[in-house]
Amino acid sequence: MSSPADLSPLVARVALGDRAAFRTLYEATAPSLLGVALRILRDRGRAEDVIQDAFVNVWHRAGSYRETAGAPMTWLTAIVRNRALDAMRSESRHEASSLTDDEDAMADIEDDRPDALALLTQAADALAIRACLATIDGSQRQCLALAYYRGLSHSEMAAHLGSPIGSVKVWLRRGLEKLRRCLERAK
Amino acid sequence: MNYDRPELLDRLAAEYVFGTMTGRVRRRFQRLRASLPAADVAAVAWEARTGGLAQSVPAVAPSPGLWNAIDRRTGGTGAAPEPARGGGIGAWAWALPLTGLVFGVLATVGFVRLAPDALVPIDAIVQARGTLPESYVGILTDTTGAATMLASSTRHGTTMSIKVLRPVEVPEGKVLQLWALPRGAEPFPLGVVPREGKDSFEMPETSEKLLSNVPRLAVSIEDKPAAPGTEPQGFILTGHCVKLW
Repeated sequence: MSSPADLSPLVARVALGDRAAFRTLYEATAPSLLGVALRILRDRGRAEDVIQDAFVNVWHRAGSYRETAGAPMTWLTAIVRNRALDAMRSESRHEASSLTDDEDAMADIEDDRPDALALLTQAADALAIRACLATIDGSQRQCLALAYYRGLSHSEMAAHLGSPIGSVKVWLRRGLEKLRRCLERAK
Repeated sequence: MNYDRPELLDRLAAEYVFGTMTGRVRRRFQRLRASLPAADVAAVAWEARTGGLAQSVPAVAPSPGLWNAIDRRTGGTGAAPEPARGGGIGAWAWALPLTGLVFGVLATVGFVRLAPDALVPIDAIVQARGTLPESYVGILTDTTGAATMLASSTRHGTTMSIKVLRPVEVPEGKVLQLWALPRGAEPFPLGVVPREGKDSFEMPETSEKLLSNVPRLAVSIEDKPAAPGTEPQGFILTGHCVKLW
């Protein structure tokens, strides 16, 4: 993944309507972003549609990029994740999670290498917050990973973990609070 | 709900960013985000905070057609003619002053010198080095000898950029196919080219691998994009393929 220093000038040039810069930005970031969308949507065609919409949006909105949104890659990741999550939630089957669907989701996760928890651990290594992450309770960590990387809702997570939805909500809330402290330490 | 409480907004923003909200709740938060700056600030803060978590997700190469679709939808190829903004060789002269200005403002010349070519647009390389990048370039002419099409690709890149200098007549339902004519071997198809304007396509290998033994390029009219191993119909454009270094 390119460092923020690499991408900021490109985003600035895209904002000026520079097509060559746009292409370069695409080539530098689309593979990583497609990986993120594919984890959530599980369907290459739909994930590529999300990337397509996201980049069309970036072309028109690059001028609105501000450093407060994080590094350019963070900004792009947020655009892609939000669109992927919207696309996923627009499927009726995810609105009302039936037992069958959750079993499917579980099978998918088990086929996944690396799985969501492994991805969270790897990211923590890269951000040098592994020790901090280890202080977060296992169930909370798993909820965080399933939410961030797979986009699972509370009810999907509850079914996946075989736990009451109330517990999942509490785990997630506590996990988020602890993760916030870890991430702020990473800066 | 009382959205004046920062801790509530923060919690909602976290759940929104992490993706645990159902569709209905998501849409409600999106509306809130659009109307209440504090909600947007909270969401942006969580997006910025969690951006680093995505870096462990393995990258997946997009299909070759994805860029073309994005390009078309953003007014690139096939749209009404507009001032060239880089990409084709013909655009460089136009782009240089602007690129120089932008680069000066951004003070990124050092970055251009250090970064790999793959990450830097061609006009930026030209500006920083004062020379054209190592490329394969073909100028194809029609049967009257008029320059009709420009094909260019950087030496170690996989993108072939096409600029049509004079529109080409193509019967409805047919395509223009670009071929490489290697020394001592049969022609092989490179990709489909536009009848006018600009476009680009991805090649399966780098130019260096495909074109180092190719002194000439040609274009034929085909019923459909030519598959490897097929023979071309008659050529309507031909030209030299040269190494620009």
